[in-house]
Amino acid sequence: MQVFVQTLAGGLGFGAIYALVAIGFSIVYRTIGLVNFAHGDIVMIGAFIAATAFMSARLPFALAVLIAMVLTAAIGLVIERALRPLEHRDLDLMLIGTIGFGIVLEALATLIWGATGRAVRTPVGASPLRIAGIYVQPYDLLIIGLAAVAATGVWFLLTRTKMGAAMQAVAADYEAATAVGINAGRSNAVAFAIGAALAALAGSLAGPVLYVNESLGATIGISGFAAAILGGFGSIPGAIVGGLVFGLLSGFSAGYFSGYSDLVTFVAFAIIVMIRPTGIFGEATVNRA
Amino acid sequence: MIRARKLSRYGASAALLALAGLSASACGAPGSSSSSGSGGGSGSGPIKIAVVDAQSGQDSSLGHWEYDGVKLAVRQANAHGGIGGRKIVLTLFDDQGDPTVTTDIAHKIASGGYVAVFGAAESADSIAMAPVLRRAKIPAITSGQSPQLAALHDPYEFLNTPTSVTYDSTLANYLVKTKGYRSIAMITNNDAYGMGEHDAFQADLTGFGIKPLADEVVTADATDFSADLTTIRQHHPQVLFIGAEEVESGLIAKQARALGIKAIFAGGAPMGTPLFVSTAGASNVEGSIASSAYLSNDLNAQTRAFAAVYRAAYGQPPELHGAKAYDGAQIVIRALRNSDAATGLKLANAIRAVRYHGLVGDFVFNADGVGLFKTRIGVIKNGQVVLVQ
Repeated sequence: MQVFVQTLAGGLGFGAIYALVAIGFSIVYRTIGLVNFAHGDIVMIGAFIAATAFMSARLPFALAVLIAMVLTAAIGLVIERALRPLEHRDLDLMLIGTIGFGIVLEALATLIWGATGRAVRTPVGASPLRIAGIYVQPYDLLIIGLAAVAATGVWFLLTRTKMGAAMQAVAADYEAATAVGINAGRSNAVAFAIGAALAALAGSLAGPVLYVNESLGATIGISGFAAAILGGFGSIPGAIVGGLVFGLLSGFSAGYFSGYSDLVTFVAFAIIVMIRPTGIFGEATVNRA
Repeated sequence: MIRARKLSRYGASAALLALAGLSASACGAPGSSSSSGSGGGSGSGPIKIAVVDAQSGQDSSLGHWEYDGVKLAVRQANAHGGIGGRKIVLTLFDDQGDPTVTTDIAHKIASGGYVAVFGAAESADSIAMAPVLRRAKIPAITSGQSPQLAALHDPYEFLNTPTSVTYDSTLANYLVKTKGYRSIAMITNNDAYGMGEHDAFQADLTGFGIKPLADEVVTADATDFSADLTTIRQHHPQVLFIGAEEVESGLIAKQARALGIKAIFAGGAPMGTPLFVSTAGASNVEGSIASSAYLSNDLNAQTRAFAAVYRAAYGQPPELHGAKAYDGAQIVIRALRNSDAATGLKLANAIRAVRYHGLVGDFVFNADGVGLFKTRIGVIKNGQVVLVQ
């Protein structure tokens, strides 16, 4: 029982990181209908920026994360601006464009930070909390808390602000939205920027629990992508639930299936998707009618 | 409704962008990092040697250090006239720590006029390319230590390090006979290196009549070890043997301490590296025991001299991988000199005949390409590995 509950605690921590990545995927998909394949590499860039600011420049961790989010949001804006001419014209080419941007980001990371990675110390140095024999890391609680705040912030933006309403209008009916004066380009840019900022948050939080190098984006990106599909691509609540479910799935597979954990994780994922192809909450994306 | 799509000028821009991205990635993609000279093994012109090491991915640190060690040895050789007046030219191939990529690279090397290969740093990658290089009759000297490399019985495969059998028997002897530990748990990964460590250490424990309290196996790219470590924690071991590469070992150690495991960590060469200490956090690995062929730059006059030259060249101190690779390169250079720049089986036999007093030990190669049969024991104190035995 102790193993089960401890695995649950560990899985939730990683699940929160996957949820952040999944929300980033989903917010772009629901607004533009595009799967941003550069998203994993943006996670990696965010992790490197935060690691450099925290470990090399010795800035407070919170400030390092903020810097990473701002800079990668700018990267998101650059990607959107470069792809804007293709919006609502050729989605396939946009997709190829994001793949290209991902490759460029990976090469840039090697040029800037070199081939060796970075180990990042845990910013919250307190001893683990012991609750009924289960060890809970204060840093894991921080990750879960920040992920909850970020998810709430995204929900608030989409449902309670004019910008969010504009983004939803553009997704629902592009022509009608532009006809009433909504700047679709700006709306999509905001989606890319928010998605990139969330990717940076995920990467920054993942740094102290993993190892920051060029493969970090692939490691977390694939899991976040699977989480987004699991929850329902484009659905924000789906991304959160999908992330947590995928984190738990990975944790339990690792514990109970040893060297076959990856196989078990993705077989389970495939079965769930076959039963529910549009994910737990269903797909939410642009109206292409 | 299917719309006819034609490539608009915007589409062309996006395609060009993708092409630019692919071109940029070619800088880090498997392939030559420098243009090679002609000649190879033809008897004139530069002598071409391939270096196969990860320059990207999780193992990039190892590949980076190994390449630095090899470059230093070659630079020194070329400064002293090369091999009979012929310069050695290195070509770096980034295998990304992926055996699939390594195999592809091996095919390129086989048809590229190279006389020898330095690499790879990982056992799995070295095992992957061995059959291709054997068919091409190209000797390779690897930093991999899996016993599976020796089990290839490949006349063209050489190790610049002892195998896991040596590392782990030295470690097991120290843990059980010197320190008296009998309550030992294991966690290893399932790649070639991890499996070699698992089998070797388990065999040693069996020889002492000890059954591990727990024997957990994880994947090489696992990140969440909660379940495995909680299982181990329930047994309250005195020692936790970790059989994985540097970064994964560091993550395991970090998570183990976070889960309240107080056992002493013990392991092979990865545990004696700065990368393990920095990944795990120095305070988490205080007192950890490592079996390694190169524990410190301060071991003797030879290591101190090497460290000084390395630091002058690269601005940072060397560690195990750089030292191993340096020794391996020196051995091949000697073999080339002794054999008058031979190639193929003649070069392989010349390598086997080299007796070399290196940084990591005294090399005397057997028929399976293993040249070292001793390691040392070190303990981590204040983030540094200190020689104990």
